[in-house]
Amino acid sequence: MKFLKPILAILAGYVAIKFGIPYVGSLVHPGTWPVVPTSVLKMYMAFVTLGIVMAYTFDEEGYAGLIGPIEDIYSNPSKAIVRYVVVLLVGTFGAYITYEYVKPTFDAPIELRSVHPAPPSNAKMWGKTYQIQTIQNPYREDKENFAKNLEEGGIVYYKNCFFCHGDRMLGRGHYAVGFNPRPANFVDVGTIAQLTESFVFWRIGTGGPGLPSEGTPWLSAMPVWHNLISEEEAWKVILFLYDYTGHSPRVTTKVEH
Amino acid sequence: MSDTGKNMKPGIIAGRILLLLAVTIVFTLSPSIAATGNVENGGKLYAKKCWWCHGKEGEADGPAADFMIPPPRDFSEGVYKFKTADPKAEIVRDEDLFRAIKHGMPGSAMPSWGEIFKDPEIWDLVAFIKSLTDMFEDMDNPAEISYAGKIPSSAESIEKGRKAFEAAKCFECHGQAGKGNTIKKLKEDSGAKLWPRNLTKPWTFRSDYTPEAIFARVSNGIPSTPMPSFAGEKTEKGKLSLEDRWHVVNYVMSLKDDSSKTKDGDIVVRGIQMVELPKDENDPAWDKASATAFFLVPQIIEKDRFFTPTNNLVKVRALFNDSEVAFLVEWDDRTKSVPGDDAAAAIAWGDLTPDALAIETPVVLPTASEKPYFGHGDASHPVSMMYWNSGSVESPNGTMLLTTTGTGNREKSDATAAGFSATGSYKDGTWRVMMKRKLTANADTDTSFETGRYIPIAFANWDGSNGEVGSKHTLTSWYWLLLKPETGNAVVVLPGLAFLLLVGGQLLFAGFLSKGRQSNKS
Repeated sequence: MKFLKPILAILAGYVAIKFGIPYVGSLVHPGTWPVVPTSVLKMYMAFVTLGIVMAYTFDEEGYAGLIGPIEDIYSNPSKAIVRYVVVLLVGTFGAYITYEYVKPTFDAPIELRSVHPAPPSNAKMWGKTYQIQTIQNPYREDKENFAKNLEEGGIVYYKNCFFCHGDRMLGRGHYAVGFNPRPANFVDVGTIAQLTESFVFWRIGTGGPGLPSEGTPWLSAMPVWHNLISEEEAWKVILFLYDYTGHSPRVTTKVEH
Repeated sequence: MSDTGKNMKPGIIAGRILLLLAVTIVFTLSPSIAATGNVENGGKLYAKKCWWCHGKEGEADGPAADFMIPPPRDFSEGVYKFKTADPKAEIVRDEDLFRAIKHGMPGSAMPSWGEIFKDPEIWDLVAFIKSLTDMFEDMDNPAEISYAGKIPSSAESIEKGRKAFEAAKCFECHGQAGKGNTIKKLKEDSGAKLWPRNLTKPWTFRSDYTPEAIFARVSNGIPSTPMPSFAGEKTEKGKLSLEDRWHVVNYVMSLKDDSSKTKDGDIVVRGIQMVELPKDENDPAWDKASATAFFLVPQIIEKDRFFTPTNNLVKVRALFNDSEVAFLVEWDDRTKSVPGDDAAAAIAWGDLTPDALAIETPVVLPTASEKPYFGHGDASHPVSMMYWNSGSVESPNGTMLLTTTGTGNREKSDATAAGFSATGSYKDGTWRVMMKRKLTANADTDTSFETGRYIPIAFANWDGSNGEVGSKHTLTSWYWLLLKPETGNAVVVLPGLAFLLLVGGQLLFAGFLSKGRQSNKS
């Protein structure tokens, strides 16, 4: 019976790492299930096992309690059948572990991608160089023509963007399924809601190929829009994106010295 | 067991009857909920979300209207394609409009608005849309088509359906295998380009994939298109008897081909090793390799962007041996486009150009996540492109091996040195194209295919009867190719060795302990 407790403790450790951690992750980021990678899981389990064995064999009595039954199985003449079953089980387990190590594995390379990588300090678009930190949407404060500019931005969106980003701006336009990474969901709080208009302007202007390498520019199907639409159209479509989704652009507050 | 009908108090029975009555009334009255949809509120929602495609007055002239196939519906006409009303009715049911808005039109640009709008808002939209035409004036919501006489599906019914499909000449537009490979040029009443439905891909059906929905389609036809109503007394060209319509429904339901669908997360073409590679694209040896399906999307990234594709999917297999790798790419294409073929030219939209396929792989296999740009590579990351097209009547199978470093920068590489060949054949609405080449090639211009390595792979496709030429075509993102080598002996020998060592060790240990036990006793 003394055997049972440490085994249960090890099992509990396994369950906590295998399912507990992804569960906590799913609470923090709903809709995800961030599993602990197998290699990390193995390392954690080695520590858990070692720790528990150390705890249970801390004193003489505990040591005897843990080691006694093992000695008994391997030497008690009346437990011959149990002994051979254990011998075979341990052998099979060892063979299985070895197989797991030597079997050829072909895992697809991990593709890490930063969704909103830091923009460069300046970028060349429409034949000009822009300081990305400081540019402002020229139409944001034009209250008089706001409705007109907004509608023009919408027209730009529906002639250029909605195929991928979708009618509903959920990133699920009718061609979205063919692209990896999937087009951005503007309704989600994780995209334009946490970005400045200048950042969005840079992402539109230079498109996928304008991303730094942590943004995997070779995968993105986002066109280089400064080749296809005008600067004015880009600012107006940004106006439309925020209005349609009800988000406000993030503003960079200037620190006064 | 006290709550049986016998023991139930009269009050409870009456209560249940009342409840049942209430439910029945709510259900029978639901059309009248529709009738009370608020036109004004519908108009407000329309002005925010719908006009971009359907136009401010509902005349299908919104800013996005020219960039899609099928085009948006023209509400001023009041004619709708997907009608579940009785065939005699002139108009659609409110429920048909409701369904189209709520669930959208799969395979078209119309999304499912049910995720955004609540049901009462959708009824408001229905009321507004009906107000854009006089077609519905003084008209009651028509009765639903009768589904009486429905026949459960069976092998026998499917076979009868197949014969009826033949007799009513459905194949003239939908093809012998149901893939929409028409022999006629078809247009919507508006003159817009139209291709008949590929019946093997129900995930592209605009309405539902249910026996009832297909029955309604066959019986009512698709108004404003060349799909006629097949409701008739007896089965003949263009007509089907009631019984045969249900058999055709079962036949159409049976055509569904799940291999023509992408599987979530399945993004790898798994090549299998064999001694002899298949001779050609129709060699039965291809059945040994499993197929992976990838969505095709139009080239909407660079000038000249392309918005109205027809082909939507490629299925890919790979086989290899010590020296060569072979690919089989299959795709459903409604037209066999071979320049010089007069029948093909007659149904083509625009000039008839060859159908074509390209497979793209990086010249240098990436070691980290960095890859060439997925469209034609880039200046520092060339890609190798195996290209095939249908050639012409005089000389079929045009092939090229290219090295590209970005759009427009391409050079022919030595196809003979790479042992590159490609052939294709077309049957019943499907192209099968085999491409073959040596595993190793000129390291500067071509890909060397290493086994056991994940190799980025992408595809491009052209439908020559759909105006697809040059930059106007469909493509895929980067996916993976894995040529999986056969596993060696180590996989068996090492675990076996571990087993023997562990068993032997334990037996020695047991013997040692037993000896100790005996000497303790004595």
